[in-house]
Amino acid sequence: MAHEATETPASKDEHHGHGVGRYFLVWGLLLLFTATTVITGRMDLGAANIFIALFIATVKATLVVLFFMHMTEAPGANRLVFVVSLVFSIVLMIGVFGDLWTRNPMTLPSAAPTTEAPERP
Amino acid sequence: MSSSDAHAPNPHLAHHYETIEKQDYAVRLGMWLFLGTEVLLFAGLFLGYTVYRHFYHEAFHEASRHLDLWAGITNTVVLITSSLSVALAYNAIKQGKTKLCAGMLIFTIVCAFTFLAIKGIEYHHKFQEGALPGKWYHYAEVTAPGANLYYTVYFLATGLHAFHVIVGMSILIWILSRVLRGHFSESYYVPVELGGLYWHLVDLVWIFLFPLLYLI
Amino acid sequence: MSQPSQLHENKPPVYPEVNYLNADRGVWSWLTTIDHKRIGIMYLISVMLAFLLGGIFAMALRVELLTPGPTIMGANTYNRMFTLHGVVMIFLFMIPAIPGVFGNFLLPLMLGAKDVAFPKLNLLSLYLYWTGATLVLAGMIMGGTDTGWTFYTPYSTTTPTTLFPVLLGIFILGFSSIVTGLNFIVTIHTLRAPGMGFMRMQLFVWAIYATSIIQVLATPVIGLTVLLVGIEKVGGFGLFDATRGGDPVLFEHMFWFYSHPAVYIMVLPAMGVVSDAIATFARKNIFGYKMIAYSSLGIAFVGFFAWGHHLFVSGQSAFNDGAFAVISMLVGVFTAIKVFNWVATLYRGAISIKTPLIYICGFLFFIVFGGMTGIAVATVSLDVHWHDTYFVIAHFHFIMVGAVIMAFLIALHYWFPKMFGRKYHEGWGMVAASLIVLGFNATFIPQFLLGNAGMPRRYYMYPERFQALNVASTAGASLLAFGFLIILIYLIYALVRGEVAGDNPWDSRGFEWMTTSPPPKHNFDQTPIITQDPHSYQEPGEEVEHVVI
Repeated sequence: MAHEATETPASKDEHHGHGVGRYFLVWGLLLLFTATTVITGRMDLGAANIFIALFIATVKATLVVLFFMHMTEAPGANRLVFVVSLVFSIVLMIGVFGDLWTRNPMTLPSAAPTTEAPERP
Repeated sequence: MSSSDAHAPNPHLAHHYETIEKQDYAVRLGMWLFLGTEVLLFAGLFLGYTVYRHFYHEAFHEASRHLDLWAGITNTVVLITSSLSVALAYNAIKQGKTKLCAGMLIFTIVCAFTFLAIKGIEYHHKFQEGALPGKWYHYAEVTAPGANLYYTVYFLATGLHAFHVIVGMSILIWILSRVLRGHFSESYYVPVELGGLYWHLVDLVWIFLFPLLYLI
Repeated sequence: MSQPSQLHENKPPVYPEVNYLNADRGVWSWLTTIDHKRIGIMYLISVMLAFLLGGIFAMALRVELLTPGPTIMGANTYNRMFTLHGVVMIFLFMIPAIPGVFGNFLLPLMLGAKDVAFPKLNLLSLYLYWTGATLVLAGMIMGGTDTGWTFYTPYSTTTPTTLFPVLLGIFILGFSSIVTGLNFIVTIHTLRAPGMGFMRMQLFVWAIYATSIIQVLATPVIGLTVLLVGIEKVGGFGLFDATRGGDPVLFEHMFWFYSHPAVYIMVLPAMGVVSDAIATFARKNIFGYKMIAYSSLGIAFVGFFAWGHHLFVSGQSAFNDGAFAVISMLVGVFTAIKVFNWVATLYRGAISIKTPLIYICGFLFFIVFGGMTGIAVATVSLDVHWHDTYFVIAHFHFIMVGAVIMAFLIALHYWFPKMFGRKYHEGWGMVAASLIVLGFNATFIPQFLLGNAGMPRRYYMYPERFQALNVASTAGASLLAFGFLIILIYLIYALVRGEVAGDNPWDSRGFEWMTTSPPPKHNFDQTPIITQDPHSYQEPGEEVEHVVI
């Protein structure tokens, strides 16, 4: 997206809104990516499916954060806050998955699952 | 009160800030921090999702095929469009175009209602089919082990998201009422901006929920 | 911005006639105030009541454990009692204590600001705290909870006791904590007085900053977790229920992702209090200012990577056990940096032995001892032996009571003149401080021995061979309780009849002493301009005063 490059977080009083076109462009891209993710989601690509879906979702989310939420113009502190919250979400995931991937498979709940709960006293 | 703010009488400036710029900076930082907490709130649910998807890969795959894909797509389009309109509302008020801003907010709120209505219909179908979470699960078409957990995660995640939609919608209605009363102008529009940020967050969460729940 | 000093002026100290305490009158003016100082005072009263309640539970538990068999209560009561002791002490006292009381009161003063960034949110945080506290106590009245403060599934989702109000209460208390943390971060970023860069903030401010980051990042996860447990209990969704394919260990992961950093929510402000007070009572520049400041952030950061050491015997994988054990050691490194710097600050200082300094000495001992045993229990092989025994209890209380409550008492004594403009009785203060430090050791050192000998935690009865140590522990606890009673009496007396302290009775260089004690409603008559570093006791041309009693 070349045309954002001309947008600089210039002095406060200067930016009186962007061209509306930019918002519509982002919107169009978001719809395009939605269509892409639906199409790739229905293809059978094996393990790649989830990564493609997450990749597209991340791209969409990045577009929303950068342009709809104006992260491009936000001060450093705000960017840092948001990025840090994402980083710690990932820390939570990694910590738990470090456990799941290396746990004895026999101790995983999926080893002997039941959908019917036994009667409790 | 110190004398420093006596020469700058701005009704929106609280007594403990020197300038309105500093106050706006503080309010925006506070909002981003709040959005950060929301990210971590949903991170817990996404964690639950990934863990059980890891355990019950097949069941999750099969169960996701039994959601109404078109409802999901429609809702995605509705939310993305509402995200656009709320961004346009912010853009409009920044230029002092109050009427345009109000119009865009009304459109956003209508989108929010549409989203909830579609979600409600989807929920209704699932209730009838018996695709309910945990011990209530009795959906005959997906019997793979772990399918009940798919619906647990589905209802918890979409339920929490729907709750955020309702909250976001209420905030936008409140902001709309203030726009209509002429509280905002090109020199004071921070609440519109913050309400918009919250609404974008609702959209962000859905951007991830949609492929994870409907498409995998 | 000269520091007012009583040592050079022989005028008797004056009590400022109009201050934040009497600027507006009536209960309503307190309940609707957005003044951070008044909110701090209301937090003080609230957490003291919570502490009293938790303390009563603790004493009841200790009395029950005097004999191997039933002593004063039944087994079910005992289970409810230790749960409430944990919940009240952690969620109602420890977490809000130092940030809620002293953070609120002092942060704007230390920054040279008129208020926190969002005064109304600040009041909201207090009301959320009250709501949450009410719900937790309602749960207690409605039958009590017997899960322990950790709410481990699947027991918590199957216990017949009242759980939901307690969980909801904790959820709301979480909101209160988030709002406070968010408020403080924004305050520190935006409301520093002219001339105050980040490297001129007092170390208490740094500690609160690090604490707030944890509060904002970790608390949403516990909010969600307790919500899920509540839903699970009411709805049977099966998320943490192994019989429906759920994973109970997932609960422990989510719980400790908050609750381990939460330990640093409690202990980091305590470290900040000590950093500030130690410079005053050693009358010396703090040694290694930057290292103490950065190590607060370091602890906050590393604290997020250590939660797995609570899951060593929960069925977590051996790989995770090892990884989390190694990372846990890093917390020890950052804490040690602080301890070395504190000790180095005392070295060759002009030490004035006042009540806060006695607590500081106690604190240093407790945090080293508690910290070292923490390193021990974070080692997998040792934890397998000690897990769920009194050894863990003793370690935890060394940090939580030993470090945090000592710091709370340091703060209470050190800033009492700041808050109320009056002095407490130094003699009684020293007596109580000595009693508490001694009583604390007598309470918890026997528990280390008990745990090492194999006495499990949360047990109602125990074999007779453990009785001697249990009696010793209970005796120590009585000493502690007696010490707290003395403090309560002389502080209340000081509130009413205490000698007028003057603006800066310790002759401290902390920025919070720049204004009068107690401060006026808007803190400063003029916005202060900061021209010096914090804790700077050796200015050119000024002799360091030796105030030794």
